[in-house]
Amino acid sequence: MKTDKTQVVVIGGGATGTGILRDLALRGISGILVEQGDLAHGTSSRFHGLLHSGARYAVKDQAAARECLEENKILRRIAANCVEPIGGLFVQAPGDDPAYVDRWVAACQDAGIDPEEIDVQELLQANPVLGTNITRAFKVPDAAVDGFRVLWGNVNSARRYGAKIMTYTRVTAIHQSNGRVTGVEVTNQLTGAKQFIECETVINAAGAWAGEIAALAGLELKVIKDKGTLVAFNHRLMNRVVNRLRPPGDGDIFVPHGTITILGTTSMTVDNPACSQPEQSEVLRLLQIGRELVPELENYRMIRAFAGVRPLYQPGNAAEGRAVTRNFALLDHQQLDGLTGFVSIVGGKFTTFRLMAEKTVDLVAARLGVNKPCRTAEEPLTAPVADELLQRGKKVFGIPGAQKAAERLGDDFAKVVEQAEQKPELQKMFCECELVSLAEISHVAQDETCFALGDIRRKTRMGMGTCQGTFCSYRTLGALAKYDRFAGNHRAYLSNFLQKRWKGIRPVLWGQQLREAQLSTAIYSSLFGMERMK
Amino acid sequence: MMQKKTDVLVIGAGLSGLMAAAQAAEQGKQVLVVAKGSGALGLSSGCIDLWGYRLDQPEQVCDDPLQEIVRLVEVNPEHPYARVQDVLTESLAYFSDICAASGYPYVTSPGGNWLLPTALGTVRPTYLAPVTMAVDSLGEAKSILVVGFRELKDFYPEVLAGNLKKNAELAADCRINTLMVSVGGDLNPNTLAHRLERPAVLNEIIKQVKPALSAGTLVFFPPVLGERADSTVAADLAAGLGCPVYEVTNIPPALPGQRLQQVLLRFLKHQGVEVIMGCTVTAARVTGTACTGVTAVGNGKTMQITAGTVILATGSFLGGGLKAGMGLIKESIFDLPVKTCAGEWSDRDFLALSGQPFNKFGLTVNDNLQPVDGQGRVVLENVLITGANLAGCNYPVEKCGNGVALATGYKAGKLSGGVSSAAIR
Repeated sequence: MKTDKTQVVVIGGGATGTGILRDLALRGISGILVEQGDLAHGTSSRFHGLLHSGARYAVKDQAAARECLEENKILRRIAANCVEPIGGLFVQAPGDDPAYVDRWVAACQDAGIDPEEIDVQELLQANPVLGTNITRAFKVPDAAVDGFRVLWGNVNSARRYGAKIMTYTRVTAIHQSNGRVTGVEVTNQLTGAKQFIECETVINAAGAWAGEIAALAGLELKVIKDKGTLVAFNHRLMNRVVNRLRPPGDGDIFVPHGTITILGTTSMTVDNPACSQPEQSEVLRLLQIGRELVPELENYRMIRAFAGVRPLYQPGNAAEGRAVTRNFALLDHQQLDGLTGFVSIVGGKFTTFRLMAEKTVDLVAARLGVNKPCRTAEEPLTAPVADELLQRGKKVFGIPGAQKAAERLGDDFAKVVEQAEQKPELQKMFCECELVSLAEISHVAQDETCFALGDIRRKTRMGMGTCQGTFCSYRTLGALAKYDRFAGNHRAYLSNFLQKRWKGIRPVLWGQQLREAQLSTAIYSSLFGMERMK
Repeated sequence: MMQKKTDVLVIGAGLSGLMAAAQAAEQGKQVLVVAKGSGALGLSSGCIDLWGYRLDQPEQVCDDPLQEIVRLVEVNPEHPYARVQDVLTESLAYFSDICAASGYPYVTSPGGNWLLPTALGTVRPTYLAPVTMAVDSLGEAKSILVVGFRELKDFYPEVLAGNLKKNAELAADCRINTLMVSVGGDLNPNTLAHRLERPAVLNEIIKQVKPALSAGTLVFFPPVLGERADSTVAADLAAGLGCPVYEVTNIPPALPGQRLQQVLLRFLKHQGVEVIMGCTVTAARVTGTACTGVTAVGNGKTMQITAGTVILATGSFLGGGLKAGMGLIKESIFDLPVKTCAGEWSDRDFLALSGQPFNKFGLTVNDNLQPVDGQGRVVLENVLITGANLAGCNYPVEKCGNGVALATGYKAGKLSGGVSSAAIR
């Protein structure tokens, strides 16, 4: 069996795990991140992309609200290319308790958020889709954030400092000796090859899977798995994040991202951490509630629905669903269970991932005798794209294409522009909906974490637009056929990709999306006979 | 407001609408075609799929589609083919005659169904193919060369070559090679097809391909060999290369479907049929069980059209003939009763061999193609329904889309002015 050696193994390739890897790397601690699928394939790509101001939690959880506000400011600074600083609104509709407003305003002020009330007419002028029956509205510093980009920023930054990541790799055993962790055994999910990684510390940042990981070390850790379903609309419905001004509930957040809007979420306890199947009944419930703010909601085109599992943690396990704290907990298993070198970080939310990583690495660094301070709040994830480079990009990809690629690629944008300048055929737009060029696809395909069309999608947004991959998935397959890693079974590559898209299209299968689905079946069955392909 | 009066109004310019118009004109009727867009024909393969696989073994290609349709109608009397069995053979002959006379002949395979290569490297069963696509003796080929264009983003010779080995029954010693050629510039399938009609460009391609050829090689190209139906690009390439040259099926936009549409439109023009494109029917007037006229809007003009017979060839969801809301599906113009299914509209598996249920949704008709309600009563006497508007066929998995369109369009044209328009005379 192949072996490897590092100081720390981080389990889980979501926002928290990649944030931890970066923090370790910036403090000079060697680390390997192990992820069972692709980076962000779990909860970190299955949320509404809201960078909280904290206002949503102010009444119930002051500490969480303060943390959100602080982290929101930090992320805007260190990850400007990942954040759309559009601001947020809290609006009240008829039927919402008017008395709640004063409590909410006071709680926000206590947390330092300072909501500013705006005139309802002014609100409607700027956001005409909102219903005219809205009674009050307040501005807060919410923003939209791109989870994929933040993760990639973390990973690329960590790699520059020597960190390693292994995707499609599952931890199959945690070895210990005399009450101390000695390493982990991992299995490559694509090849079945096993490997041992010797280490001093294991950080369990597996999110919804954290309980399964703890069990490998013989420990009990109960994570509440709370499924939330969301709907993506093919329109920018409003100019700011819109929250419902009432105690947090289902279907009361709209987050515009570029040209689309995400409405979420539902809340339902599930047993399986991989339970990400959105159901039509959940979509109907979201629409029903969403209509209270946006009366014409169902007439806007929906692209797909998706679901993620919130890993919630409640010491004592008394509460469920919305009642469970959104706070995070750092569990030192040396103190709790007498196992040295094993730490779990559970609960929390995307907005506070950096803080979670900082607290976790503070503990681990102290145990390892490293006294360098955390630098993740100071050093930007990526250097800003120079104007001269952006101008060169515009010549090869067009203005909107270059802007999108620069935001997505960060530090890698320079290499992609250079490739496209040298080989004009790479300038072709493969995904017309999201403006992803062949140059960008070829670039990410060469990353060692790319094995499937879905990996390309998560890194570039290829296939995430209006056509949901009908055209660009076939093109991408064609362009990648020359790489060894993509030379395998084409039916499997393509059908896995199309099937995952299908999973999200089915719950919104009416209107334009049914038309699009018919085109998709016409192409892949009627023209390509793919249902009988070998 | 402009007033128009005609014997037969055809709404939709896909294959079924154009066939209906041609046949109605053949019956001596005055015919007007109005269409919102250019129809799904331009998105199709350009071949006429009749019936692809055996009913008892859905993985096995059927070698006699006409016989298989006879059996189909016995086990599934709801299938649109059940309404057109009486005219199926003559409709195919009529179609073939039009295409042959237009210099764009379609051919049948001695094996009943052709098994034609696609850009994905699968082979698809189809009944009538334009000469440029009708690959003869694929199974005996000793050598195949797949040629792609660097400028084209929708065709990958290596994908075709790699998968064809797995999906076609090739000779054991058959070699498949690939080659990329270039014509320069930034091209889509249509602009490339247009450029290839220039002899200088074609000679340049011949020069690039020739060194990669050995005697007897079959050469496959993406379906871009000429924009016009009467262009000789494929034949000139074959002559220049000294090898048989074929176009394979590919995703839209692909030229064979567009060429077929050109052929049929030109034929209609010859027959004196008026065709108005970019024209949407926005309302219909109905008295009792007859349509007395429709309102159509296009190019900023509004028309009131009166017709003895209306042929509804507006397609399914893709064409816009059907519209789906939450839990409810409507026919767009007359709000005719739509047959759906009891369970879910879609299958969990995108590539389910049984097909997606929503593809079977549509209108139910009697043997005269008149729309009927759940009790079998005729809803509109002088409106005839064709093509993808019809319920009961799952064309993507059955491989029968253009076949159903062709036969139902033909029959509607033939019946127009007969049983149906009696109602308003």
